[in-house]
Amino acid sequence: MTVKLIGFEVSPGVLSVMMTLHELGVPYQIENPASWQALKDEDYITNKHPFGKVPVLCDGDYKITETRAICRYLVSKYQGKNNKTILIPNDVHKAGLVDQYISYECSYYTPPVAKLVVEEVFHKTSNPELVETSQKEIDKVLDVYEKLLNGKEYLNGEFSLADLLHIPFTHFIFSATKHADWWNKKPNVKQWWDRISNRDCWKKCVEKIKF
Amino acid sequence: MTIRLVGVSASYPTLRVIICLKELGLPYELEPPASYQSLKDEDYIANKHPFGKTPVLFDGDFRITESRAICRYLASKYQGKHNDTILIPNDVHKAGLVDQFISYELSYYDPPLLKIVYQKKFVKNFLNKDPDPEIIKQAHEELAKVLDVYEKLLEGKEYLNGEYSLADLVHCPGTYCVYGAGHSDLWDSRPNVKNWWNRLCNRD
Repeated sequence: MTVKLIGFEVSPGVLSVMMTLHELGVPYQIENPASWQALKDEDYITNKHPFGKVPVLCDGDYKITETRAICRYLVSKYQGKNNKTILIPNDVHKAGLVDQYISYECSYYTPPVAKLVVEEVFHKTSNPELVETSQKEIDKVLDVYEKLLNGKEYLNGEFSLADLLHIPFTHFIFSATKHADWWNKKPNVKQWWDRISNRDCWKKCVEKIKF
Repeated sequence: MTIRLVGVSASYPTLRVIICLKELGLPYELEPPASYQSLKDEDYIANKHPFGKTPVLFDGDFRITESRAICRYLASKYQGKHNDTILIPNDVHKAGLVDQFISYELSYYDPPLLKIVYQKKFVKNFLNKDPDPEIIKQAHEELAKVLDVYEKLLEGKEYLNGEYSLADLVHCPGTYCVYGAGHSDLWDSRPNVKNWWNRLCNRD
C-alpha cells in the first residue's frame, strides 16, 4: 500500500517529508486538504491532526504527525530498504549528533528564518523592522553554523536528516526574498547551502512546489 | 567512566536529562557551570555548547547537547542495560508515535509554559522586574487550549502512548514548575490530564 502524505506542497514541513521520501526511495501519494481553513474543521482535528496542522502521514493503517517525527519514522522503517541513502547513521554516537543538529535546526535556526519567510513570502507583507531584527538574529545563528561547518561538508560530516530539515525554509529565503546574501557572505555556510540545495531529491521537490 | 552532566537542576531542560538518567538507572555527576554568564564565555561556546546553553552531556569522550537529543541518545545506548525501563519502544510504529508526542510537547505544550516560567522566575529573580501579567494571562489561555487537546489524547490511556515513555518524561520538569507557580487549575480541572500528571508525579 502506498504511503499517503496529507498537506500542501508549499508547507516547509510537508516539503521536508517529501524530500525524505524521495531520498529513501519510498513512493507516495500526496493528498491536499480542501483548504488551509479545513485544517481547523472538527473532522480534521479528530481524524488527522489534533492541533490542526500539516503534514500528516498515513502508512497503511498507521497515522503519524509532526514533520521531524514523521521523517525519523520513515528513516527507521525504510532506510536501506530501497537504496543505500543513510539519513540517520546506525552508530549510536553519530545518530546522537544528528539528533543534536536537528535540535539546533528546530530551536535556533528555523524560528527566526520561518518568521521572516512567513511574513515576506507567505503573507507577502513588507516589514522593515522585522527584517532588521531577523538579520541580527539570523546572523548570530549563521556565525555559529560557520564554525560548526569548518572542515566539514555537512553538519555531521556526511549528509543526514539534520541537513535535510534546513532546506525548505532556506529555499524560500533564496528563491523569494532578497536576503540570500546573509548566507552567501559566510563561505562555509554558502558552500553547505549550495551542496544541499543541489541534491537531485530536492530538485524533484522544488518542481512540485505549489503556492 | 561516569557520565558528566553540565547544568543546574533548577533548569528544566537539565532536569529532563536527570530524570532520564535516573529512569535508565545510570550514575552521573552533575557539574553546574560557574555562573549563568559563564555560558557566554568563549571557552564554554567552543568546548561545551556553541549556542551557550545547558545541558551538555559527556559520556567518556563523547559530547552531546540539547536535552531531547541527549535523552534519545541515552535511551538508544543504555535502555535495558541496567533495568527494564523502556523509554522508547523497540517497535518502529510505537517509537514513531513517542516521537510524535515529544514533538507535541516541543511545539505546542512547551512554548506557553516557557513564557510563564520566564516571567515568573527569570524576570523576577534575575532581572528584578515585575512579571508582565498580560503575557502570563495569554500564556495561561494558550496552555488551556493545548491541555484541552491533551484531555482528548489521554482518553482511555494512562500515558500519551499507552505505556510510560520518553514522551511523558519530557513534559515533567516544565509542568512541575508551572503547576507549582499558581496554575495548577489548568491540569486539575481536566480529569484525564489530572490523572496523567498525578501518575507522573508518583514515579520515583
